[in-house]
Amino acid sequence: MVSVSELVVEVHGLRVSYGSVVVLEDVSLSAAAGEIVAVMGVNGAGKSTLLSCLAGLRRPGGGTIRVLGGPPRDTADYWRRVVLVADLPTWYPGLTVREHIELVRMTNAPADGWCLDPAELIDAFALAGRADAIPLTLSSGQRQRLSLACALARPSDLLLLDEPEQSLDAGFRKQLASLLRDSYAPSGGTVVMATHDLEFAEVAGARRILIEDGCATEEPA
Amino acid sequence: MTTGTTARVASAVPRTATVRKFTRRQRQGRWLDWYAAGFGVLLACIYLGNFLVQPLRRLSSGARDLPVGQGETGLALVVAAAAGLLLLAQSLGPLTLSPADASWLLMSPLRRRGLLGRSLGVLHGVGAFAGALLGILALAMAGPYVRAFTPARLGEWLLLAAVTGGALAVAAVDALVFLQPYPRRARPPARVLLRVIALAAVVVAVAGEHWTGLARTVARGLAPVSLAAVQAVTAVAVVVAVAAAVAAWARLRSFPADVLWADSAHAGRVRLAAAFLNVQLLGWIAEDNYWRGRVLASRPWPARKPWQVRPPGTPMFPAFLLAWSDWRRLGRRPGTLLALAASAVAPALVAGALTGSARGVASAAVLLFGGIAAASQGCAALRRDTNDATLRRMIGAVPRPSLTARTALPALLAAGWLALALGLLASAGVLHASGASGVPAPLLWATLGLAAGPGLAASALRLARTAPIDATALGGLDTGAGTMPSWLISRIFSIVLGLVGIFPLVAGVISAFGGLHGARPGSLSHGLSGGTIIVQAVLSAALLSLYVLTASPPGSAPGE
Repeated sequence: MVSVSELVVEVHGLRVSYGSVVVLEDVSLSAAAGEIVAVMGVNGAGKSTLLSCLAGLRRPGGGTIRVLGGPPRDTADYWRRVVLVADLPTWYPGLTVREHIELVRMTNAPADGWCLDPAELIDAFALAGRADAIPLTLSSGQRQRLSLACALARPSDLLLLDEPEQSLDAGFRKQLASLLRDSYAPSGGTVVMATHDLEFAEVAGARRILIEDGCATEEPA
Repeated sequence: MTTGTTARVASAVPRTATVRKFTRRQRQGRWLDWYAAGFGVLLACIYLGNFLVQPLRRLSSGARDLPVGQGETGLALVVAAAAGLLLLAQSLGPLTLSPADASWLLMSPLRRRGLLGRSLGVLHGVGAFAGALLGILALAMAGPYVRAFTPARLGEWLLLAAVTGGALAVAAVDALVFLQPYPRRARPPARVLLRVIALAAVVVAVAGEHWTGLARTVARGLAPVSLAAVQAVTAVAVVVAVAAAVAAWARLRSFPADVLWADSAHAGRVRLAAAFLNVQLLGWIAEDNYWRGRVLASRPWPARKPWQVRPPGTPMFPAFLLAWSDWRRLGRRPGTLLALAASAVAPALVAGALTGSARGVASAAVLLFGGIAAASQGCAALRRDTNDATLRRMIGAVPRPSLTARTALPALLAAGWLALALGLLASAGVLHASGASGVPAPLLWATLGLAAGPGLAASALRLARTAPIDATALGGLDTGAGTMPSWLISRIFSIVLGLVGIFPLVAGVISAFGGLHGARPGSLSHGLSGGTIIVQAVLSAALLSLYVLTASPPGSAPGE
């Protein structure tokens, strides 16, 4: 794991456009190891675009991005250290909830770092009653819980979460925020999440960055 | 909430094969998958066998007295088929994973090459197989014109043709794989190029039927080809294919995840729709693909005219707004209208291509289905509303007035298409009319087409409002030879409705052909008059009105 003082994410003068529409004009931000950063802003502000740039899935039009000491690379080694939870995934039709979590463990073996084992995750994410169910039969909130559980079933240095609070009930949002604040971040993991939920960000102890008119400004705590 | 643990598990770095074994092991009903795949392969072998019998017989007979245009036409059609297959491959990726694999294995520590190797292998296998078939077909078309070709060495020629075709196809799909990571820059030009090649090949094929100069040039070019020259071409093709395959394999290592993710999701939807023969869903996917990424200038909705002022709550205005969406959509896709106008020549082509008493029936069938297809171009929004009536409810449109407002565009499209098609048939001299009225035949037949439009609109509206195919649904009509599924019955009924709606037109066309060939002289071919046109207009208008009055409210009961 990287030391707490080391910067895991460094963005300077990021510029991204879709055709003639400029979404991010001049965005600069940073996140240290063990830090939680909440990126906020109105719909269409460019939060998800910023996350996809950090994940290396979108090439910016200008500026520099450094993640874990280098540019985002979209390689096997990179995905060993970075997790992206964006849109709901497509589930394997023949696999149960528990098997999806085990699959994530298997693809990321050998596990070397902080993570929760499948049994713990199923309990923590209140999926015990549906552990042998097919994800397609779950409610949208339960599927979101499963997505997030899979993200924490493997060790990582950086969690990129796109509106993790989506479809979650208020009680579980607080539990999730506490888990990130009390367990994931203290182990050295960094979280950059796009969210609209101010309370969720506050409970997680996140530093808040507001994206407005293509630029990022830090919000007072 | 739990605090978790710091895992220190000393296991090997995962291999894709191990992970895939896990996902496959858990899958239920595997024997059924194998049975379905085996049955599909068996059917494909039977059809391909039948398909290849004729060309192989032609080659083994050693016939040399073929018409000069056949070689050129055949080769052009093989080129068109190859371009069409490559277009299809490109529209699906061509390199994709299953949507679930893309979600769970793509952005993981698994090596990208290990993950994609199997997909590339399948792509090469399918490409080589299709290429080999096209190579054999090309030989079947060109072989009789090649002096050096002898049935005694048929095996050698077939092998060379198959290997050359397969190798060129592998090189071509690898080229598409190289272009895949650049969806905005490289794919559109490649798509345009392939379409131009396909179109040019079709034009050459059609031209060869009438313009013997081109056909003779091709035949002269084929005549001196030697076996050694073909061997050299095969060797070059194999070298190119191997180089392309190696380069593609090397490219897999850093194949971008975002492109694969999007292409895999798209290909997954298309495969699912194709597997269930869900034409509606395929239509939606094509429609979505067309509009995605396009920047349109928003325009105001049509303003209410002073003479349209009605008491508050009158439903016609929202219904009109809803119907206007299809007009606007079509206005933004002028290419569709051009394609429809161009396709109006189809009945005339069919009439020219076929001979004997079948001509009238075939042309009438093309008119029926072509008219329904034209009318369906004005039903896209209605099709969506049937699946999800949210927009209609949001606008506040009442179901039946909405359906009434939506009849205008399909009726107009069908009428326009039929008028053009019948006018062309009459202009080509295929259809005649009574000269007593002094009205030119094309005008008379075109008027009959205009009168028949609403009849086909009813059919197209009913088809658009039919629920998507559910291949797993039970029940249907017991025919004695098996159960006919209800979705098929519903669609057949819609076609029959269209046939009833334009019956005077169909009868007129068949009768006109009969009159032309002396089978039934004195029939409608010599008696197409204002009376027939009025009968057709009344019938089609009555049928459309009856359909609108009796159809269940749109959105409330999909599937009629």
